[in-house]
Amino acid sequence: MTHFEIELEKLKNVIIKIGNLAEGQVQESIKALLSEPIEGKEVKKIESKIDKLDVKIDEICQSIFALQQPVASDLRFIMGSLQMSNEIERIGDLAVSVIKRNKSIKDKHDLIAKFDIAELGKKVELITSKTNAFFLTRDETLFTEIFSLNTAIKIKSNETILEIITEMKSHSKTVVSGTNLVIVIKHLERISDHCTNIAEYVYFIINAKIIKHDKHEDINLE
Amino acid sequence: MKNTKIEVKDLSLYYGEKQALKNISLEIPRNKVTALIGPSGCGKSTFLRCINRMNDLIPSVKITGEMLVEGIDIYDKNVDVVNIRKKIGMVFQKSNPFPKSIYENVAYGPKINGINNKTELDEIVETSLRQAAIWDELKDRLDDSAMGLSGGQQQRLCIARTLAVSPDIILMDEPASALDPISTSKIEELVHELKEQYTIIIVTHNMQQAARTSDYTAFFYLGELIELGKTNTIFTKPEQKQTEDYITGRFG
Repeated sequence: MTHFEIELEKLKNVIIKIGNLAEGQVQESIKALLSEPIEGKEVKKIESKIDKLDVKIDEICQSIFALQQPVASDLRFIMGSLQMSNEIERIGDLAVSVIKRNKSIKDKHDLIAKFDIAELGKKVELITSKTNAFFLTRDETLFTEIFSLNTAIKIKSNETILEIITEMKSHSKTVVSGTNLVIVIKHLERISDHCTNIAEYVYFIINAKIIKHDKHEDINLE
Repeated sequence: MKNTKIEVKDLSLYYGEKQALKNISLEIPRNKVTALIGPSGCGKSTFLRCINRMNDLIPSVKITGEMLVEGIDIYDKNVDVVNIRKKIGMVFQKSNPFPKSIYENVAYGPKINGINNKTELDEIVETSLRQAAIWDELKDRLDDSAMGLSGGQQQRLCIARTLAVSPDIILMDEPASALDPISTSKIEELVHELKEQYTIIIVTHNMQQAARTSDYTAFFYLGELIELGKTNTIFTKPEQKQTEDYITGRFG
């Protein structure tokens, strides 16, 4: 392995690590939502680890750009890595926001059960793990699955939010909890959006096509 | 390709029994810079020398195929090789000024082409040195020996000498490989400016130089043309795996 290849491998490993940490945070946030509050200290610790790795990725990329002048697939990998680390870091932040917001939802269990938040949570966990798997395996069938899941998450979120609004209209005492739950759902939806962004960067690394503003249906899978 | 200056059809070159260029077919566009890249011994310099028939000077060389410059096969029996080299100038890796004054270096070509009028020669010398971006540095010392110039200045003087005989095409064989970064950047900038008027073909081992200076890049390997495309495409998304392996340094 050349010195350059070692640097690229190092970058890949940091991306895998930060991706796994963010996936863990998402799982924790869903767990916190569906069952009992989780240990806040641990979440904070991982949040700070993610931030450090995000900075490390910037540093590795900066150094590769300056010293190695990468081209073609290497260049795409480094450009993609920079973008992906931003998205992953945002996913971590959103997961923490879900955990924090969760504490403000009174009568949580009733609401969670009533609006089937578990189903939404399961889908968000799945899209996060599939996104990590796509980066790792470059299996392009995952790309389609990620976008299908995102659509399903969006539909489910919109339906649930409408149901919560109806509930708040008829039972004013649920307004505070309901509003907090709507915010949580929006956070989960954003996590899903970040996953599709990551998938688009992985697609760019593989196929050298920038598709971030394309409609998903237009993308011709090779 | 639109606006083709040079069209090469099925060109092969043999050094005795050894085939150094294998059925090369390509088109080189007018007023653009085309870079030839590839590992040592891939045939890129041999190919460059085919364009002004420099390989004619090597015994045992046999060339087949066609090299059409403006539609005329330069290997045709009726073509005057001196005329070809007048139209197709060449700059070499090692600057090679004549051991004469700066002025005489540039005026030498026009003089042997029959221009003797001092005013006319003065004008050619000034224009050529200006085009080679070295006039301001040398205008007050035109009678000094060219041998006293720095390597970078000598190379730009050699470019001025090439321009003085009004070529259409300039061939450059590693023109900056022996120069420091500042002189290199001056040569690269010059290449950029000269393409307005000339068709330039540059052989370089420095891939970043090819990326910086050229519009098109051709990748040669083992005497074959593997890929020719827009430089931006070659360095971001080459079509051939061999090209990708070479430019990313994963070759062999």
